[in-house]
Amino acid sequence: MRDYNHPIYMNNAATSWPKAPGVAEAVAEALRAMPGETNRGGVADFDVFSEVRAELAKLMGVDRPSQIALGCNSTWGLNQAIFGYPLEPGDTVLSTTAEHNAVLRPLYLLEQRGIRVVKLPVDEAGRVRTSEWEQALLEHHPKLCILIHASNVTGAVNDVPVLSEAAKSAGADLLLDVSQTLGCIPVRLSEWKVDLAVFTGHKYLLGPQGTGGVYVREGLKLRPHIVGGTGVMSDLKEMPEEMPLRLEAGTGNEPSYHGLLAALRWNREHPLDMESLVRRTRELSKGLEKLGCKVIVPGGLSTPVISFVIPGIPSADAADILTGSYDIVLRTGLHCAPEIMEDIGMKGGTMRLSLSRFTTEEEVEQVLCAVRDILESGL
Amino acid sequence: MTWRCKKVENCFAGASTYEYELPVTGQELLAFLEGWEIRENHKFRRPVFSAKQGPLEIKGILAAHVVKVNYPADTWKEEKERLERWLEQIKQIEQKK
Repeated sequence: MRDYNHPIYMNNAATSWPKAPGVAEAVAEALRAMPGETNRGGVADFDVFSEVRAELAKLMGVDRPSQIALGCNSTWGLNQAIFGYPLEPGDTVLSTTAEHNAVLRPLYLLEQRGIRVVKLPVDEAGRVRTSEWEQALLEHHPKLCILIHASNVTGAVNDVPVLSEAAKSAGADLLLDVSQTLGCIPVRLSEWKVDLAVFTGHKYLLGPQGTGGVYVREGLKLRPHIVGGTGVMSDLKEMPEEMPLRLEAGTGNEPSYHGLLAALRWNREHPLDMESLVRRTRELSKGLEKLGCKVIVPGGLSTPVISFVIPGIPSADAADILTGSYDIVLRTGLHCAPEIMEDIGMKGGTMRLSLSRFTTEEEVEQVLCAVRDILESGL
Repeated sequence: MTWRCKKVENCFAGASTYEYELPVTGQELLAFLEGWEIRENHKFRRPVFSAKQGPLEIKGILAAHVVKVNYPADTWKEEKERLERWLEQIKQIEQKK
């Protein structure tokens, strides 16, 4: 590992750090203890997966925790949802150019299988325009809509209640990607009539990597994309019908889920102070603009993400200096969302700073000082 | 002198970027880069350098042992082999000393 003196970690939209207090201890303790299924999941066994499901159900605003299947990340959930959804050649999927490759790459495969994919451009902030969404629904009659809740590049949060209502009116199901929002922005899946949603534990939930999954609305049946042992109904040649077993083949990542449970409980007991996080994000964003950087300012509801470039200086070079010379951890490039770049006017990619509840005012100031050094360096 | 190399994450289109850990610092490496276009910048908290020769670019922190190499998208494999042959030659020169 690189030897950082005092790292300024601003890569939370990729993976949060530090984790919530108690997460590391919970993972370590789970590895030391006997596996939870020692008693084959008896009533006296502590079932970490059920506990996590219950916490997630409350957080996502759904009534039935059993409709949440737990896997290893959002990509796992998206593959289950996209390839498991009952699509036939000739059906249409409506999505956007703001999606992550975890959506785009499954969609490229669907296209090869005869599914029609329509991708709506987004505005310069990375947000879906409601009127264009409504128009596309009327024009293309999609069976399934796939929408990112907040762009991982710009932080812009989409107006899901309105977009979902429009999708419902057009007879389409909605798959919502809440990877960037869960733990940061309120998510109310049942209220918004969302049919499928994917989430991850390692971003704003402050949990370990290797946790995440998919929520499936009751009554909607996915074809299992991954099949295997379930510990019950072993005589069946197919996966069981009941959720979440239907989508959970194989042994789960129990230690990491103990970590996620600790994170979820800590989050519940320590609600995010969104006001101060927004304030710090704005300070950084405005400071960068003041220095002469080109900054994407999403306006409205957004996650603590700032995409920017320094005019005249390649982002890869600037990011190398920020990390190598100043120990600032950030992400640079296309951020696995290549199709949004043209829409937001950043075709070559951006540098992305993503804050968390643990980011301090001092760190914001240090980042601005480092960017000022780069601008004054004659690089 | 020995070295080790790892492909690093780089999200830019067409990027092929590797990090090399060398037994010499960036500053010491510069002595071997005769004929390269070298730039040093001492205005940062940890001063940096870059060295270019044709499509190849080596850059890093002058005081650090890890350097980053950006290979051109279309000929990255040939260029990587060429650079690593050169690192092997330097290794042999150093071992004879």
